Amino acid sequence: MAVCTVYTAQSLNSIPTPPKTHLGFNQKQVIFYTNTKRKSPNSKRSVTEISCSADKTVVIGLAADSGCGKSTFMRRLTSVFGGAAEPPKGGNPDSNTLISDTTTVICLDDYHSLDRTGRKEKGVTALDPRANNFDLMYEQVKAIKDGVAVDKPIYNHVSGLLDPPELIKPPKILVIEGLHPMYDARVRDLLDFSIYLDISNEVKFAWKIQRDMAERGHSLESIKASIEARKPDFDAYIDPQKQYADVVIEVLPTQQIPDDNEGKVLRVRLIMKEGVKYFNPVYLFDEGSTIDWIPCGRKLTCSYPGIKFAYSPDAFYGNEVSVLEMDGQFDRLDELIYVESHLSNISTKFYGEITQQMLKHSDFPGSSNGTGLFQTIVGLKIRDLFEQIVAARAAAPMAASKA
Amino acid sequence: MAAAVVGVSFSTPKVFAQITSSSKAQNSGKFSFINTPWRGCSTSFGHGRMVSLHPVAVVPDKLSDKVEESIKNAQETCSDDPVGGECAAAWDEVEELSAAASHARDRSKENSDPLENYCKDNPETEECRTYDN
Repeated sequence: MAVCTVYTAQSLNSIPTPPKTHLGFNQKQVIFYTNTKRKSPNSKRSVTEISCSADKTVVIGLAADSGCGKSTFMRRLTSVFGGAAEPPKGGNPDSNTLISDTTTVICLDDYHSLDRTGRKEKGVTALDPRANNFDLMYEQVKAIKDGVAVDKPIYNHVSGLLDPPELIKPPKILVIEGLHPMYDARVRDLLDFSIYLDISNEVKFAWKIQRDMAERGHSLESIKASIEARKPDFDAYIDPQKQYADVVIEVLPTQQIPDDNEGKVLRVRLIMKEGVKYFNPVYLFDEGSTIDWIPCGRKLTCSYPGIKFAYSPDAFYGNEVSVLEMDGQFDRLDELIYVESHLSNISTKFYGEITQQMLKHSDFPGSSNGTGLFQTIVGLKIRDLFEQIVAARAAAPMAASKA
Repeated sequence: MAAAVVGVSFSTPKVFAQITSSSKAQNSGKFSFINTPWRGCSTSFGHGRMVSLHPVAVVPDKLSDKVEESIKNAQETCSDDPVGGECAAAWDEVEELSAAASHARDRSKENSDPLENYCKDNPETEECRTYDN
C-alpha cells in the first residue's frame, strides 16, 4: 500500500501531521495539485513537496563506542547503496546527520537529555542511560518508520550544547548509530537489523593512542585514564547490547604476530545470529561445519603475516550463531579476490563486488584487514535484506487482493 | 578589526608549527598569507577570490584548547575523588572532545583543497570539467 505524505515548508518548525492519502496501487504515484488562493498580506509561496513511498522505512541500528561519525562504516554502507552520504546542506554545520539518496544516518547523541554541563553537574557520563531521552528516541524513530518527518534535536559535539532541531524526512533506509540503539526495548523492536561493533580493550587502546597522541595535552597516561574511567559505565550499559545484535563485529589483536601492540594487523570475527528473518549468514565451504583455512599456499602467495580464516557454528549469549573469522592483512588485490571467490552467501550482485567496494575505498582505515572486509560484507547483507523486505511488502497486498 | 589582526598574530607561531608538522606541500602557498596578516582576507591565495579567514590549523585552535583544558580539569577532578561520577564524567568529556578534534582533523584534511571543494559543487564549470577519453 502506498502512503503519500505531503510536506509544506511553512510547517517546518513543528512536527507536521500531514494528511495521508492511501492509494490502492503498489506503484509510486505522483500527485499534482495546485495551491489555490491563499492570499494573506505577506504570504510567501509555500513550497509543497509530495513524496510517495511504497513502503515503510527500513531501520538499521549500529552500536559502537565513542561518538558518532563512525564514518568509515557508514561511508562503506552508504556506498554499497550508491551515492555519497553528506551532512545536510544549508543546515547546522555541526549536525551529526548524514544524508544520501537512499540512506539517512542519525547519530543517537542527538537524543542526549543532558548537555555537557548538565552531565558534569550530575556526575554522569554520556554512556549512562540517564543522560539520554529514550522516549523521544522511540517516538521519532517510530514516526520516521511510519513515514512522518520529524524535528530531531541536534547535539553539538564541539560546544556540548543541544542546538535547535533539524527536519528529518523519512528515507528508504534509516540508520541509527550511537551508544544505545538497542538499549531501550521499544526502539529495539523497531529495528529491522542491528549491528554491534565490539572493539577489544587492547585494540581500543592502540587506536586511541594513534588518534590522540597528536593532540596537544594528551599523554599515554591521560588516554589510559580516560578509557579506564569510562569502562564501568561502558560495561554496565553498552556492552550488554551485544546479546541483542543480529551481527557483532568483534575486533581483537592478531594472533599471527606475537606481542603485537600496534593494532595494525587485526583478528576480526563476524558473529552472525542464526534464524534472523531475511538474513543468511556468510559461510566458508560448508554451512554449519567448522573450517580452518589458510588461503596462502601454492595458488596464492601472501606477504607476512599472511591471512588465516576460520568458520564455525557457536553459541553467543544463549543464541545460535555462525562465526566467520579473519586474522591477518590483505596486501594485494588478488588476495582479496581469491578470498571473495571462496566465501558463500555474500549477497554480491556480481563476481568481485566486494573487492570492487574495498578498492573504491582503499584509503579508508581497515581496508587491508577484516574490519573493512566484514563491514563491506555487512553492507551487502543489509542491501540484500532491504531488497527482500521491499519485495515481501510488494507481494503482500498482491496476495491479499488475489485472496 | 584590530582585535582580529592581533588574534591572528598571536596564533601565528602555533599555526606555523602545526603547518610544518603536517608537512604538506600545498600549505606552502599559505605561508605568505600567515606571515603578513595585515594584508587582510581579500588577497588570500593570490586568486583574488574571497576566502574567509579561518585558522588554517589542522584542528581549530578552539577545539585543541578545549581538549587540553578538559584533560587538566579531569586530572584535577580525579585527584580529589578517583571513583566518583564526576571523575568519570570529566574523562568522558575528554573522550568526547578528543573524538571531535580528530573528526575536525579528518574533515580539514578532506577540505584542504579549495579547487576540489569548488568542483564538488560545480562540476560543469571550465576548471572542473573532466574528460574520460
